[in-house]
Amino acid sequence: MLLEAEAVSKAFGSFFAVREANLSVVEGEIVGLIGPNGAGKSTFFNCLAGDATPTGGRIIFAGQNVTHASPERHAQLGIGRTFQVPATFEGMTVLDNVMVGAYLRHPHHNDARDHARQIVELTGLSTQTDMAAHSLGTPGRKRLEIARVLATTPRLMLLDESLAGLTPTELQEAIGLVRKINEMGITIVIVEHIMEVIMTLALRVLAFNQGHVIASGKPEEVVKDEAVIEAYLGHGRHKHRSRSA
Amino acid sequence: MLLIQVIVGGLLLGAIYALFSSGLTLIWGMMNFINFAHGEFVMLGMYVSLLVVVWLGGGPAAFGFTAAFALFVLGVVVYLSLIRFVLRGPMLSQILSTFGLALLLRYTAFWIFSANFVSLPQTSLSGTINIAGVLMPVPQLVAGVIAVMLTFGLHLLLTKTTVGSQLLAVSEDRGAAMLMGIKPDRMQALAWGLSAGAAGIAGALMAIAYPWSPSVGETFGLTAFVVVALGGFGSVPGALFAGLIIGLIQGLSAFWFGPIYKDIVVYALFVALLWLRPQGLMGKA
Amino acid sequence: MKKTPAFNPTVLLAAALLIYPLIFSGAFYLDIGVTFLLAAISASAWNIVGGYAGQVSVGHAMFFGLGAYAPLLCYTLFGWAPIVGMPFGMALSVALAVLIGIPTFRLTGHYFSMATIAVAELIRIYFGTWDLVGAAIGLQGPATARGWWDLTFRSELPYYYIFLAVLAFLLGLTFMIERRRFGYYLRAIKAGERAARSLGVPVQQTKIKALALSAAFTSVAGSLYSIKTGFIDPESGFGILVSVQMVIIAALGGAGRLFGPLVGALILIPLQTATNTWFGGGGTGLTFILYGGIIVLIARYEPGGLFDLWEHVRPRRWRRKHAA
Repeated sequence: MLLEAEAVSKAFGSFFAVREANLSVVEGEIVGLIGPNGAGKSTFFNCLAGDATPTGGRIIFAGQNVTHASPERHAQLGIGRTFQVPATFEGMTVLDNVMVGAYLRHPHHNDARDHARQIVELTGLSTQTDMAAHSLGTPGRKRLEIARVLATTPRLMLLDESLAGLTPTELQEAIGLVRKINEMGITIVIVEHIMEVIMTLALRVLAFNQGHVIASGKPEEVVKDEAVIEAYLGHGRHKHRSRSA
Repeated sequence: MLLIQVIVGGLLLGAIYALFSSGLTLIWGMMNFINFAHGEFVMLGMYVSLLVVVWLGGGPAAFGFTAAFALFVLGVVVYLSLIRFVLRGPMLSQILSTFGLALLLRYTAFWIFSANFVSLPQTSLSGTINIAGVLMPVPQLVAGVIAVMLTFGLHLLLTKTTVGSQLLAVSEDRGAAMLMGIKPDRMQALAWGLSAGAAGIAGALMAIAYPWSPSVGETFGLTAFVVVALGGFGSVPGALFAGLIIGLIQGLSAFWFGPIYKDIVVYALFVALLWLRPQGLMGKA
Repeated sequence: MKKTPAFNPTVLLAAALLIYPLIFSGAFYLDIGVTFLLAAISASAWNIVGGYAGQVSVGHAMFFGLGAYAPLLCYTLFGWAPIVGMPFGMALSVALAVLIGIPTFRLTGHYFSMATIAVAELIRIYFGTWDLVGAAIGLQGPATARGWWDLTFRSELPYYYIFLAVLAFLLGLTFMIERRRFGYYLRAIKAGERAARSLGVPVQQTKIKALALSAAFTSVAGSLYSIKTGFIDPESGFGILVSVQMVIIAALGGAGRLFGPLVGALILIPLQTATNTWFGGGGTGLTFILYGGIIVLIARYEPGGLFDLWEHVRPRRWRRKHAA
């Protein structure tokens, strides 16, 4: 078990963004997190990444308790993440962006640069190596984020809607890239709205709603789950709602 | 008896600190932005008051309102022409924008008014009053009391009126506020106007009771930082309590250690706060 | 575009700086040259933490002042050659940097900036009351040289070359940093702290190191200043104008660029000298109105300074040149 989240909760005052969520990820898996906006999946994701500290429960990565660990520590241990709104280093070139990631395991300039070049090649960004990050479109930036994280040689990659907003061709390429990364031995947890991504890539899926995990299992099953459908289409579908006259 | 006078004097001055600091904390809470020129707004309020008295022969009410209004306009103009653009930019831009503005305002004031200390000619508020054996100068008493009332008034404006709740909505959640039809840009401009206006009228109140020169802007600016840090960034009630406390501490420091220490103690308190309790008495960090 | 070594701008610049005093040998020109170098050193030191790492200190005078007082204090108290005091100034500055950095770098950028003003003012006012350091009057250095080690020269020429050597060293060090992990981490912090953290960048530590390094060199600038001038007081050491000058010079040229501060100094020092000469006593006031205005313009229109402005303008010229 590479990653274990046990009864993780995140409360803001009396409001629970995440309530007792459990997740076990086996090394080499691709796990998907789905759920409508505000369902808590992003907060849960941030807890896994170390960006938010759970108010309850614990998170164990490769036998280490990372519940209260900083994002830097997470990266050192081998957990990498991308951001929903790409947070590339805008003024720096593609290569320099990736080098920042590469420096984690390659403290020396030349090693870092060589490793970064390899990653740039691998992620299909070689034609843009010396372009400034801000001149890439959003798909380019998302890809750059993936490359940057990849350069840190992670064991686990947390992808936060990294495939959103892509054209059908770009989407296929991106799916291919994620699969390639997984085949390199990297475990992936992916938050995504796009069903095609979840269905094609994820081995297992967790569905969130209102802070709870409401379903988990194979993608085909979860997607047909009643509770999941209700969560997406709005609660009260099967209930009577009192209407004021 | 002298000690009580020092205490009361400190609190009265602290009330004015509270008034102008509440403007600073409003901006911070709303936009995560610090106005390094805020002290200069107070300073300008003082000079506007002087000009109204000298040119127009106006009394306290006249220059009070004029200072408030003139600075309100200045605040809105500064927001629309400068702040609005740097909010989206790098930290360097944000800090330099108001820092540069502070220099501009301060040295223009030096150039126009010279570095000499000035004070308002005798107004209808003068003399001392004896309350329960404590002798208090009328100007300071009036200024302090009005300052408390206005700070409280600002708090009520923010919490009890529609406009106030719109302002607070934007500071809580821009996106949600926009969905509700509130225009964040407009609200932010209004906040800058209120903030500067509060500083302006605080300046007018200050001018009633204390002499000044263009250099006071820098000191007031730093004082405002300390008050806001102590009171909690974003909290007007916090600014009120903190302002009073800082005024008190200043007064006592001057009394016990000597006048030169009044600022040292306050700045040292700021540094201590950063180490020990950056979120202040009652606010979000 | 590859340029042949003869036209390498850096080499040209170095050559120009080296031969400047030989061509412009009058005391007036020499003085401008020395002032320019000192300003370039301070601003380049500021650049490390303010430009590269994006942590905007507006109270850097605190380090300058400590560096300026240390040599003259050592001379006044113990009779030592002032230069011996330089390492003490550096040590104090580094300690102060760490003291300020630890609590404030955890919080948002504005806290750090506010803290720098507050601490600089605090020290300035305190030194004005402290008899040990001469209170408001300040300290003086040796009136006549007791030996070469006092570094009290009658001509400014030796100062010019000493300062030039220090500037070259600082820029060389900065250049090396730019190409190594530390430099990349600084830029990452400026570009996006949250993302930097997620990549394992030790943000807090890196910022503190940058501030310490910057403080050390700013302190050196201060020491050089007081050794050359033979005098220091709270205003010339810790005054806000000292801080402002560092910031505006670096920002005008290009914060975060190796030669940004140099370019900024090249423009502002002659400008400052000119306005001081033309306007006489009122000059300093006017100079700072101008500074304020320039800073606002930079913030509003081109935070990257002249280097960025040049890059925005250049592509159009290049395209026109290479069209058809």
